[in-house]
Amino acid sequence: MQAKTRKSPEQTKKITGLLLGIAGFCMPLFFTFSGLSFAGHIALGIFLMAAVFWMFETLPIYSTSMLVIFLQISLLSQQGILFSDASLPATAAESRGQDEWMVSASALDGNTIYMKTNETSYTSLEVEILERGEQVRVKSHDISQGDAIVSDAGHRLIGYRPVSFTAFFGTLASPIIILFLGGFILASASVKYNLDKNLTNVLLKPFGEKPMFIVLGLMIVTAALSAFMSNTATTAMMMTVAIPIAAQISKEDKFRIMLTLSIPIAANIGGMATPIGTPPNAIVIANLQQQGINIAFGSWVALMLPLAVGLLLLAWGTMRILYPPTIERFKLSLKSRFDKRPQAIILYVIFAVTVLLWFTEASHGIPSSMIAFIPIVALTVTSVLDKDDIRALPWEVLWLVAGGISLGISMENTGLAMWLVSSISWDMLPQLMLLLVFGLVALMLSNFLSNTVTATLLVPLAVSMGTAGIAGEGFSLVITSLVIGAACNMAMLLPISTPPNAIAMSTGFIKTIDMVKVGIVIGLTGIVIALAMAMMYWPLIIN
Amino acid sequence: MADIYIVCVEDEPQVLDVIVRDLAELEVVFPIEVASSADEARALIKEIEQEGHKIGLALCDHIMPGDKGIDLMIEMQKDPFTQTTRKVLITGQAGLEDTIQAVNKAKLNRYIAKPWNPANLLEVVKEELTEYVISEEKDLLRFMAVLDQERLQEVIRSKGYL
Repeated sequence: MQAKTRKSPEQTKKITGLLLGIAGFCMPLFFTFSGLSFAGHIALGIFLMAAVFWMFETLPIYSTSMLVIFLQISLLSQQGILFSDASLPATAAESRGQDEWMVSASALDGNTIYMKTNETSYTSLEVEILERGEQVRVKSHDISQGDAIVSDAGHRLIGYRPVSFTAFFGTLASPIIILFLGGFILASASVKYNLDKNLTNVLLKPFGEKPMFIVLGLMIVTAALSAFMSNTATTAMMMTVAIPIAAQISKEDKFRIMLTLSIPIAANIGGMATPIGTPPNAIVIANLQQQGINIAFGSWVALMLPLAVGLLLLAWGTMRILYPPTIERFKLSLKSRFDKRPQAIILYVIFAVTVLLWFTEASHGIPSSMIAFIPIVALTVTSVLDKDDIRALPWEVLWLVAGGISLGISMENTGLAMWLVSSISWDMLPQLMLLLVFGLVALMLSNFLSNTVTATLLVPLAVSMGTAGIAGEGFSLVITSLVIGAACNMAMLLPISTPPNAIAMSTGFIKTIDMVKVGIVIGLTGIVIALAMAMMYWPLIIN
Repeated sequence: MADIYIVCVEDEPQVLDVIVRDLAELEVVFPIEVASSADEARALIKEIEQEGHKIGLALCDHIMPGDKGIDLMIEMQKDPFTQTTRKVLITGQAGLEDTIQAVNKAKLNRYIAKPWNPANLLEVVKEELTEYVISEEKDLLRFMAVLDQERLQEVIRSKGYL
């Protein structure tokens, strides 16, 4: 036995992350960035820390999210330690004749002064500067005698209107989180009553006995299921179908590689197709929702399904060339035995009703997150799911997403996101280049990071470029966010890229290089297809 | 990361060699350690515990000079460190009384009669280790390639997330 003396690389990585994260958090305390509000500095600290912790996995990713929310309520909320008793310092304007006023130099921010309206709010006013000094003589006909002028233009309330702590807590019950909860409930019940397995067996039957078509069938079924269930659970379930097939094939046959690889790829791609397919979609939808843009369930599918189908066929075609099967045909033993207990029947009905209502939002107008409450209520009042099932739901995923949404709120309303993107003159770039940059950055990052985290870090930037109008003509924040979301889901280069990839890798049937080969083709071609859709197809759906 | 050991206890060196050879394909994930008597096994178990590792499965002969295999297994069942260890008795001559003791007091998981079929031994060990990792380990992926894949995938499916 070898003794454990060396520090594992895992530990080194954790400690590096911890130190970097703390340094990131503290940096805005020591440096002042011009153009960024006081609250923006705090938000930058939280952003840097969260980004580092998520990247290095210093903490579990969901607990980093919890930490983010904690820091936001303590430091950035109206009731937190920095803003609870904050009020704007002000002095009265001194008149110097017709429309001319004396204000202290510290009250000026460029040629803007701030007029206090109550303890915490103000309106900004542009003035003409006549004479500088300790007191500045300015000209404006919007100032009148006795007006309170904020005497410190760098005050922490300038550039930030503190929101209530409930805004940060509220992310955990935001519509998209409830939509996800509905999805989790349906998925959990489907696994409990083996609906997923039985559906798979039924759906695979028409694909016959030819290896290529069986793989196509596996991919289509995997993608369809993972559009509603977790990609991980779907992959694991489909692996139980694929393993007996793989056992029939000799170890030298490359077809084994194709078989094993097709499932995680299809699961990753399938997640794109619906809002509840995978968490990055939630981040995109939540960020757009905060700008007052709602994307209905059906519209999302209309936007993303063609892309998903294209990528599935692309992956299938690529693997067909790389790993051609040598055996002619083989038989699948597909036995579906649907559970016929009353509770299972209730599940089938609720599942069908929910999905139907989701897809017909346009005709009845009930938001998808409200519909998501149907399975939540119906499956628990009928005891289809019991207390243990509720406890076993992946709550940490909801926390992860909620933290991401919460971080997005502060990035937007402290002006941080705008400040981050405004340093580059984006309007020089044509829209297509901009989408390409965002797409490639998202693809690259999410090959190494959690897809959700990548979306959390990037989508607020795209959104603020849109709201700030700094991106030049033709920029659509919806389309840019969609490209980022899609790119996050196309990252499947390495075993660490997504949990389905890790599962496929663990079987021992494939090597990393196989995953990389197909992953590169999907990632790069995928971006090109996504851009083509962003330019030609998505605008038709959105408008 | 703590390693999960397979411990084989058998007094005849040739038989021990055969066991280790039959289980060789598991060794990449589950290191195999051997002992030729109950006393040696106790020392080995203590050593593994002190190194911070675990014992997933103990494969034990019954008739040995000194303490019998079943006595060792009963002891292991009482010790919290080895309570969850899967226990397999491999023997040609355990009487009814001994076997009853083994099942009742040592919570014996499997009984393999000598001589055994190598494929059968490997399968039994895989099944038992699969059960061990499902109940004791969080990350099942690192065992996927050597243990019962379908069973492990099934567990991941029902948990939903890794």
